[in-house]
Amino acid sequence: MSLISLLIVAAALIGIGLYGAFSQQSFVMLMMGLELILNGVMLAAVGFWAMTGAGAPEGQLLTIIVMAVMAIEMAMGFALVVAVYRGKQADMTESLSGFKH
Amino acid sequence: MVETLFALLVVLGMLAVGSYAVAVIDGAAGAVLGRTAHSNVFLLPIYQCASFWLVPANTTEAPDAWAWRLAPVLYLTFAAMGLALVPWSPSFIPVDLTTGIVLWGALEPLATVAIFLHGWSANSHFPLLGAYRYVSLGLSYILVSMFVLIGVSLPAESLQISAVVESQRELWNVIRQPLGLPLFLIVGLGISFWGPLNFADSSDLAEGTSSESSGRAKLLWQFGRAAMLVAFSAIGASAFLGGWLGPVLPGPAWVILKTLFILVLLLVLGRLLPRLSPDRFLTLAWVLLLPLAFVDLVWAGVEALP
Amino acid sequence: MTFVDLTFFVCAAIAIYAGWRVFRTDSMVRASFFLLISFIAVGIIMLLLAAVYLGVALFFMMAVEMMVMALFMMMFMMNPAGLNPMNMVHQEKVAMGIGIAAFVALSGVAVFGDFPSRPVPDGLDPVVSLGKELLGNSMLVFESAGVTLLATMIGVVAMTSHRGRFGEANEGSVPPGLEPGGDPAGKPQENDQKQQGHHHHH
Repeated sequence: MSLISLLIVAAALIGIGLYGAFSQQSFVMLMMGLELILNGVMLAAVGFWAMTGAGAPEGQLLTIIVMAVMAIEMAMGFALVVAVYRGKQADMTESLSGFKH
Repeated sequence: MVETLFALLVVLGMLAVGSYAVAVIDGAAGAVLGRTAHSNVFLLPIYQCASFWLVPANTTEAPDAWAWRLAPVLYLTFAAMGLALVPWSPSFIPVDLTTGIVLWGALEPLATVAIFLHGWSANSHFPLLGAYRYVSLGLSYILVSMFVLIGVSLPAESLQISAVVESQRELWNVIRQPLGLPLFLIVGLGISFWGPLNFADSSDLAEGTSSESSGRAKLLWQFGRAAMLVAFSAIGASAFLGGWLGPVLPGPAWVILKTLFILVLLLVLGRLLPRLSPDRFLTLAWVLLLPLAFVDLVWAGVEALP
Repeated sequence: MTFVDLTFFVCAAIAIYAGWRVFRTDSMVRASFFLLISFIAVGIIMLLLAAVYLGVALFFMMAVEMMVMALFMMMFMMNPAGLNPMNMVHQEKVAMGIGIAAFVALSGVAVFGDFPSRPVPDGLDPVVSLGKELLGNSMLVFESAGVTLLATMIGVVAMTSHRGRFGEANEGSVPPGLEPGGDPAGKPQENDQKQQGHHHHH
């Protein structure tokens, strides 16, 4: 387990997440792509903290903040899905052409 | 290496002996309270195991076979992980993680996932209804349990379960934080869906999540429920009743006695408490139990001030 | 190869494979639990890296999040059980290109970048140091995250409430057409059936 192998795993997760976020039509699947990106980001952050940060606590703090961002993203995403479904009766990104109802 | 092997054996032994004890105590409680017919409470669990073992397995149309097989195994594994966190004495702790309390807090939502998978994967109505029911209730159990456990770790100034036990040398948490243990017991009945809080596998849903499983799969599921109850009692004994602390007897003996005490309390309560409808219990959980958990946390915080 | 290395490679393989399967399974429930598996594998890697709190916190956060995700999937997606094959994607080639480009660029940074080697010092307790940081120097950051979460809760409740300032949230809601720009699917038919039922009664 070296920093290089950790970062390559993180890069793979970010790559797959980007693919998902750009290709999926459903909001919830799109959010899964975003989550996967953040998964890779957290892995890279912890990797840097453990291997190059000399135990600086800010490295762990960054990961906590990413977790908070994930929670916010999930909550806002689900609220958006519910709101769009009420307005358009669909959960596809294509159905959202504007923010009017 | 020998120590690891011994720890593994202790956890596996606790799984087997504890689950058997759950069946015996539950049968005895039922007999004493006059809820079930008298029979040999020590042999009955073995007969039941044998009959489950011999019944052929059921299958449904297009189940998610992997998840259906895996869910009982996962549930039992989470119970075993919980048992591994229990400290037996200052020198013998199978898994002494510095964040043991958080790991136990993580096992509860993971168990929720296993219960949901068990109901969902059968591809049948009643199991799915049971699974949905459990998830809607499970979120409130998780929150209550988490606040109560944060309260326990405040006086210990640590998230390590052995440190929590050590912090109770002068005063047990059951007295220091009187709201903690009752709330924790309710969560325990909920997580292993036992007695009045058996909403996931209840008889009004024809046994809910396990209505389509039979034979050995069902035996494994019941085993997991009993093991989860044991793990919960053991963690509760460490977090509230001072774990290995006690006079005369050695530490492990105290752990076993206190675990048995909580187990008997849970099983008798399971027989005595009235059963609410799930929606009323959901309201109760959010409107009464969760605020009580907040009060417990504030209480613990004020008490822990120097 | 040590035990730590072996665990790392197994977990890394599981994390990547499960992450890939998220977008390659027909069932939405399976998709969200594959994502959970990916997160748990990353959490175990974090435990290997001595980030004891973060790894375990990832377990419980993601177990709850993915459980909720699975429920939303079943509420909103067509084909929730995954009994039929399904692949709802747009611009897939472009997306694949972006994903591969990001992977190549980031692993290029990993391979060719020059990072100092400063491992965690022996005496450091990661949990204590994180706690001291959260409630010490970085308290403002931590509290801002808390306040942002509170704002999110309020915003989410406002967005999802049945009734808003301008009346019912689903007022004038029409389902999308079966083909782009076509007649709305589903709803008019329901009205027809209702009227027919009415006629039968009389």
